Amino acid sequence: MMSQRMRNALVDTMLVGTVVLLLVFFYAPIATLVAFSFTSSRVLTLPIEGFSLQWYGELFDKPDFWPAVRNSAAVATVSTIFATVLGTAGAVAWIRYRFRLQGTFRALTFAPLLFPQLLLGVVMLLWFSVLGSWLGFSTGLATVIVGHVVYITPFALVVVAVQVYGFDETLEDAARDAGASGWEVFREVTFPLLWPGIFSAAIFSFLLSWGNFYVSYSLAGTARTLPIFVYSGIAVGSSPIYPALATVNLVPALLLVIIAEVLRRRALKRQASGISES
Amino acid sequence: MRIEHKSWNDPVLVATVAPLALAMVAFFLIPLLMTAVLTFQTTQYYRLVWTWDLKIWTEVFSKPHYWTIMMRTVTMALVCVVLTVLIAFPAAYALATRLKTFKTQIQILIIFAFLTDAVLKTFGWILILDKNGVANWLLMHVGFPPEMLNLLFTPAGTMIGMVYNLVAYPMFTIYLSLVRIDRDLILAAYDAGASRIRTFFEVTLPLSRPGLYSGAVLVFVLSLGAFLEPKVLGGGTSPLASELIRQSFETRVNWPLGAALTVVLIAIGALMLAACAAFALRRTSSTGRPA
Repeated sequence: MMSQRMRNALVDTMLVGTVVLLLVFFYAPIATLVAFSFTSSRVLTLPIEGFSLQWYGELFDKPDFWPAVRNSAAVATVSTIFATVLGTAGAVAWIRYRFRLQGTFRALTFAPLLFPQLLLGVVMLLWFSVLGSWLGFSTGLATVIVGHVVYITPFALVVVAVQVYGFDETLEDAARDAGASGWEVFREVTFPLLWPGIFSAAIFSFLLSWGNFYVSYSLAGTARTLPIFVYSGIAVGSSPIYPALATVNLVPALLLVIIAEVLRRRALKRQASGISES
Repeated sequence: MRIEHKSWNDPVLVATVAPLALAMVAFFLIPLLMTAVLTFQTTQYYRLVWTWDLKIWTEVFSKPHYWTIMMRTVTMALVCVVLTVLIAFPAAYALATRLKTFKTQIQILIIFAFLTDAVLKTFGWILILDKNGVANWLLMHVGFPPEMLNLLFTPAGTMIGMVYNLVAYPMFTIYLSLVRIDRDLILAAYDAGASRIRTFFEVTLPLSRPGLYSGAVLVFVLSLGAFLEPKVLGGGTSPLASELIRQSFETRVNWPLGAALTVVLIAIGALMLAACAAFALRRTSSTGRPA
């Protein structure tokens, strides 16, 4: 009896240990980057001799850093809007509707998820190059946005689909019974209920686009986004400005994740209180 | 969940489905077909010539160099599948069955790491794996000989990067299939006198197969396109298929060749997908679904 309990305890400890180890694995490179961003030395080896913020200054003074930030922000904003709207519509069509050719629609909207990003980029690059030579345009930020939308929309779709799946449609019926029009039902009931999923999808899309390298690298032409800036920089030689950049990069992502979590909790609380009231 | 049957005459259906479907056709399906068409064209003086020619395909099939790299890519992808699943399963299982208190926090931490810029994370691994890097420094300070690990610019370095960037995918799929398992089935097994270990192997593991299979396939197809890891962590010493494709576009400016190699890689991924789907289907139909 005792040995059985000890064996169970051992299994529990090992399982929890795996998760802890996995988190260490996930955060090892991120923590390393943050630590090295404050070094006072040019070489990126331990031990870190002194504390300094000089690499942040050097990063901000780099002439091609700010254009890359602007490009990344523009691409991520526009891609997020498209991916979230298309993904939400797609999720509703995936889960709630049944229609002819739905199988085809599902395959078509899910397939990009099964493509390595580089191949997705290459395939679109070929198409845009051929199209560009016919119509007289070349690849740039616009093609990057198209690429990001194709790549990111399936992710947004999956995130919203989870929310649509757990959707309680009796609330819509109640609103309709109370005399609300189709649009009012959507605005007052459907959208607020789907909002947490849509919001998570938007954050997910923004961060995926912001950090995307492969698709941008294939489709950017001469334009540069932040990950391309880093890639071409570390190809030349490592410098403490990249750890500094990584640390700066974490701040907006962290803010977005915290906002999402707060909103999600508030929505959960509202749902719970709504249920207990009714 | 109520299902609504919709006809294509319904403007609501058209408005929901058409924009996304058209975008995917125009920027995903047509580009794919275009890639296939391009493999039958040729180049002259770095310019595309529109013909119908099998020249590129004869070149692809007659050069063993390409196939060595393709084989290496497939081998790396298979090793990556095994490693990621071995790491992801226990972690997903722990997340689904233990750790109730910190579950959300851990999930957010994992998603946050997953969404952080891959180029920067890969650069972080350089700093860890370098001969004078963090890993060797730590090992030296706990008593191991200096410069013990020499992983940067080796296939092992590439593999660490690939596992790192892909392990989140099977974690998600396996976790999802584990939380969907009906708790009553497990309790029934306990009631029937099965031990925890026996229950795990005879109930939990078989029921988590959809997540296992889909995670494994996802890692396989995504690792076929690994580019950053072999380039940055492998140092380009043993290039994978993606590097070959990039070279044929950038260095050789040979689009048909790049297109053909892309088609080969997509075909390998599709074959694997089909094989796995057939296997999964046979497994579920022969064992039957638990009533």
